Amino acid sequence: MSADPAGPVAPTAATPRARVGIDVGGTFTDFVLALPGDPRGLLHHKEPSTPDDPARAVADGIAAVLGRAGLDAGDLASITHGTTIGLNAIIQRRGARIALVVTEGYRDILEIGRSRMPSSFDLHAAKEEPLVPRDRIVEIPARLGPDGRPVRTPSDAELARVAEELAATGAEAAAVLVLHGHTDPAFEAEVTARLGALLPQMPLTSSAAIWPEVREFERALVTCLNVYIQPLMRRYFDRLETLLDGLGVTAPVYIAASNGGSLSLRSAVERPIETVLSGPAAGVTAATRLGRAAGISRLVTFDMGGTSSDIAVAVDGEPEFATHTTIGGLPLILPVVAVSAIGAGGGSVVRADEHGVLKVGPESAGAAPGPVAYGRGGTRPTVTDCYLHTGVIDPATFLGGRMTLDARAAARALGEVATGLGFGSGSGSGSGASGTGADTGTSTGADRAADGALRVATAGMAVELQKTLAGRGLDPAEFTLVPFGGAGPTHAAVLAEEVGIREIVVPPTAATFCALGAVGADLRRDFARSLRRELDDASIATLDTVLTGLEEQARGWLAGQGPAAGAPELSLAADMSYRGQAYELRVPLPAPLTQDALREAFHTEHERLYGFRDTDAAISLGTARLAISSAGPEIVPAATPVGARTEPPVPAGHRTVLLAGRRVTAEVHRREALRPGQSLPGPAVIEQDDTTVLVPPEWTAGVDPLGNLRLTRS
Amino acid sequence: MKLDPVTLEIIGNKLGALTEEMCLTLQRTSRSLYVKETADFCCALAGPDGRFTAYPRGIGVSGFVGLDVRTAVEHVGPLEPGDVIITNDPYTSGGLATHLPDIQLIEPYFHEGEIAGYGWAFIHCSDIGGRVPSSLAPTNHEIYQEGLRIPPVKLVRAGEPSRDIAALLAANSRTPEANDGDLRAMLAALRTGRERLARVIERHGAAEVAAAHTDLVEYTAQKARAALAGLRDGTYRFTDYLDDDAVSSVPVRISVAATLDRGALHLDFTGTDPQVAAAFNIASHGRAHAWITTRVLALICTLDPAIPLNGGLIRPVTVTAPEGSVVNASAPAAVGIRHATASRVNDALGGALGLAAPEVMPAASSGLVVPVVVAENAPGGGQNVQVLEPMVGGTGAREGADGVDGRDSGISNLANNPVETVETEIGAEIVRYALRPDSGGPGRWRGGCGLELVFRILGDDCRLLARGLERMRFRPWGAASGGPGVPAELVVNEGGDDERRHQKIDMVTLRRGDTVTLRTSGAGGYGDPWTRDPEAVLDDVRRGLVTERAAARDYGVAITTGADGRPAPDGPATTELRRTPPPATPGAGPERAAWDTVHSTEAADRLVAALFGLPAAGRYARRAAIHTAVLAELPEGFPSTARTAPASEAQLTAARTVLARLTAELEAETRRSEAPVQALSSK
Repeated sequence: MSADPAGPVAPTAATPRARVGIDVGGTFTDFVLALPGDPRGLLHHKEPSTPDDPARAVADGIAAVLGRAGLDAGDLASITHGTTIGLNAIIQRRGARIALVVTEGYRDILEIGRSRMPSSFDLHAAKEEPLVPRDRIVEIPARLGPDGRPVRTPSDAELARVAEELAATGAEAAAVLVLHGHTDPAFEAEVTARLGALLPQMPLTSSAAIWPEVREFERALVTCLNVYIQPLMRRYFDRLETLLDGLGVTAPVYIAASNGGSLSLRSAVERPIETVLSGPAAGVTAATRLGRAAGISRLVTFDMGGTSSDIAVAVDGEPEFATHTTIGGLPLILPVVAVSAIGAGGGSVVRADEHGVLKVGPESAGAAPGPVAYGRGGTRPTVTDCYLHTGVIDPATFLGGRMTLDARAAARALGEVATGLGFGSGSGSGSGASGTGADTGTSTGADRAADGALRVATAGMAVELQKTLAGRGLDPAEFTLVPFGGAGPTHAAVLAEEVGIREIVVPPTAATFCALGAVGADLRRDFARSLRRELDDASIATLDTVLTGLEEQARGWLAGQGPAAGAPELSLAADMSYRGQAYELRVPLPAPLTQDALREAFHTEHERLYGFRDTDAAISLGTARLAISSAGPEIVPAATPVGARTEPPVPAGHRTVLLAGRRVTAEVHRREALRPGQSLPGPAVIEQDDTTVLVPPEWTAGVDPLGNLRLTRS
Repeated sequence: MKLDPVTLEIIGNKLGALTEEMCLTLQRTSRSLYVKETADFCCALAGPDGRFTAYPRGIGVSGFVGLDVRTAVEHVGPLEPGDVIITNDPYTSGGLATHLPDIQLIEPYFHEGEIAGYGWAFIHCSDIGGRVPSSLAPTNHEIYQEGLRIPPVKLVRAGEPSRDIAALLAANSRTPEANDGDLRAMLAALRTGRERLARVIERHGAAEVAAAHTDLVEYTAQKARAALAGLRDGTYRFTDYLDDDAVSSVPVRISVAATLDRGALHLDFTGTDPQVAAAFNIASHGRAHAWITTRVLALICTLDPAIPLNGGLIRPVTVTAPEGSVVNASAPAAVGIRHATASRVNDALGGALGLAAPEVMPAASSGLVVPVVVAENAPGGGQNVQVLEPMVGGTGAREGADGVDGRDSGISNLANNPVETVETEIGAEIVRYALRPDSGGPGRWRGGCGLELVFRILGDDCRLLARGLERMRFRPWGAASGGPGVPAELVVNEGGDDERRHQKIDMVTLRRGDTVTLRTSGAGGYGDPWTRDPEAVLDDVRRGLVTERAAARDYGVAITTGADGRPAPDGPATTELRRTPPPATPGAGPERAAWDTVHSTEAADRLVAALFGLPAAGRYARRAAIHTAVLAELPEGFPSTARTAPASEAQLTAARTVLARLTAELEAETRRSEAPVQALSSK
């Protein structure tokens, strides 16, 4: 199942060296095997996912990819693995039966939330289903003041009553939140321990131990989420370890994290909430690495999936992080790689609405029934059907010919849409690959519908991309687009054209890019602690103490991550504001840390963003932040066809493609036949086994020394 | 429509995104509390005719989509490239501004010498002067007390900012620097809009963009009509009341007759009380203005969630709103707290439309938005003023679904404040912030619960403000035999020797150790509670939102204790309870029922009509005098005491007699004056 040149390799050194990256998706589980010092570089593999027992596909795939490489389990140095198990459990509310213990008076903390409704113009809007129903929330007379001093400490008798109520909920595990608990994590830890002593069979988790940041609702939630998915994740990890033991794998297993890094299996069992957004984050990690290697300082990733497309931004080799994301309708305050959805995916449905206007999405045909052309029962045409109909995708070579596509069915379905649009009912195909062959010069209704749908989808994505970047004050024209996923490279150039991006870099193995990101992920964990006090000498001393504590915690964590932990890198920041301001700015901490230096750093950042500084105002010190990381292994690039050439590549064929209402004859090239140094002008289609790259007119495609395809607009 | 179905969708997408990008620019460059925390701002694009043709979704205030910039633009006169108009005056801006703190900017976007559209941005600024800090107080009775009025004038002239205007603004606000930041953020947003529109024109041509302005509105109007055409045609009348106007205890009547005719909707507000000498008036200019049509827009968007947001939404809607009424106030009426009235207009519209679409419209929501504000003396002099929490209630139940507990975005979708940050900012301990059990109106589908906020004052000499308090007297009504929610209440030191129960407050002084309890009203229930699934009642009891007592009383469901110690159903006892029909409870509660026994629809209509026969200046006082005389015949506290100390038949008869007599006197008096005045009231 791979285009990689297979061939025997002599098992060499005694030190294990191969590393595996894995991304578990809904349909396929992807594998990348990195082989340092081996001319093959990277091996790729796809294994059908086994949703009822996801660990099986992982173990089977590892066995398969090792077999293909001619290696055995002992040759593995590490396994890193992204997973959506936690995320899916949250979205589908399939987690554990958990309880919440909360300060008296706050039983409705999850029901009230931040008080906002998902929509203000929908009389039928419902709020999100709370993670813990009200009858499994138990109040406890424990409370700190905003200054960290105990306001109420529960007596033994009170604790006994709480324990009894908690036991009566029948919960498997519980989270504990004391109001202002972040101001003195030890207080909450002690309450939790005292309660735990009365309920030895019920695991309890203190919120301040998970994430000691101010904001009681968000802290309660991140703790509940952790507790909610923990049993499920533990079972999965146990099962995976058993299967890997069976294969004789002794290499450490790491789990990809939502912050683009990774953590040890043991850490992931303790803090599964760190892994929930690991899939998309790993793709961004891979793109960031690619950017560093290829000397691209500002890039936007573009991952086009079945139901939607995601983008993320990386500047100067660092992805952007967000501390306000939403999962399954619930806010998450952990720092995660900032990935934004920008609309349509390959499975988005194309239709004419009741007023005859063309719509793409938001409904998706997903993996089942999928596009009409897949012949799995889909009757409504999708974006993928449009690509087929316009000739961009060749039904004969799609996914390396592993899947046959029914172009006629797609054309028929698009013909029906055309009727709804008032385009006439003709369903003939305008593309060279799938039908009429010769360019008759007349467009059928289906042609117009397919072409229109692609333009609508592109315009929709473009405005979302533009908006996402604008929200951060960034101009897309200064960015390079890095598409991946099965459909990203197909749609990349038209999207770039629409938003004014002039360069695109398509990695060699776009479809297994997330697995590649996992294999090279750094170890990384974020820490935070809210201070909320005025900046002065006393608070600087407190900040120093807090940071020392966080650093100690962080180093201890890293040391526990196993043999791969290299030299630690620390990054320190603080959220600050002028007193009375409702918003905070994140300021990297100066070294050495003095009051004057920090003050100046804040003024400077404020001036940069808002154009002025207020030197008379008092400054508030909000949350202290620390991230620790340890660089992952150097990942060798994918094997590239050797021997640079300069002469134009010889096309494997030609076909007619319908592009923006015009039929053009495009060269068809095979990706593996292209050599570094060669370049070809659009219009062209470059086919590889896992995707198709469209090169429109006015664009040129070439191969760089790293094996990336580079598209530039002339 | 002129454009083809592909181009229309593409340009529509681009213009919609353009407005969202304007909002993002504003959000990013702003440092205003109202932008960062409560999202009280918006931006949009208007076509050359002044109507909004593209409006943001999911960011900014949704409710203003039906406004237009035409009046403000005409007021200023000829425009040239680089001009920016500023206004905040509800009267001279044609209702574009709806109270003075909402500062509006408008920029004409030129293409080759022609106006290709207008960019619009507004922010609720921190303070625009006037009698009180933040400029808003219910007891203001003229707009002059509410701050600086800015008629539409040029803030920027051909790219040159007017220093005169800036100086005038700065001198008239308690927060000039913050306001200046707001203006800068809006100007940045307008610039973004200008650049993006230029790019769209470059790509598609001016003619296509001009056609899109028209087509987009037409497309939305078609969809809006199609949505309304699905409802039953007919005329539906509904009345509701504000508890009072904060300066007197006389309720304020809101009346609407909604006529649906094949997708067209006419709203006739005749029968609504004259404008009040308090800040509850809406300056709608007699048009289908945002604050008297919010519920209609919400209904259309509920029926067609994918409808593009623009002025076309409001195109099927026409309005009759008597001039000088509380829903079409004349200058210089105060308008600061117009959202409280809008809440009640929402309920009246919901009630009327519910008669046409009982399967779609919910019962009344809790119907109040109360920012609970505490002010304390700051250590270095001055005041520390903080919003503890913006308190709302729940949403009404509807066919097939319970209401939402403790959240309601009917008027505005505000975020609350983390208690952990509030307690850091001010000397108050928030003891309890919770749902209010047994407050949701009973029904086959239960109304959403209200909220309960209990806090203890930790310092000396604090002041409590709670503008927007409502539904303390008249309950949120239930629908289709559903019961009403429980009224709101405000108590200081509840259960103590010095317990004080408050009605609407202007400002209350608090001492160290005082405990304040605010309970917001519950929302209305839907359908006969006796038909509610006993399992659903059991679930509510288990979750503690309905007590066992209320389960038996309100739902006829008996709950017992199961083997596991948890509440369990008692089937036979429930069957027995439900054998007896439920007690007849009026859908709007006993208080409203008592009120209506005196003020029947006919009697109230007559009184309002007669009042409109008077010159505008005399209506308010006359109305107060008549109500005072009528109330004098009734028990103290009527109608709030309807349940505890109901009026006797004799008292009710006496009150009706007084009302009839005084109304007749007024009618006779106005008949003597000129006819044209009376024509206004029945228009």
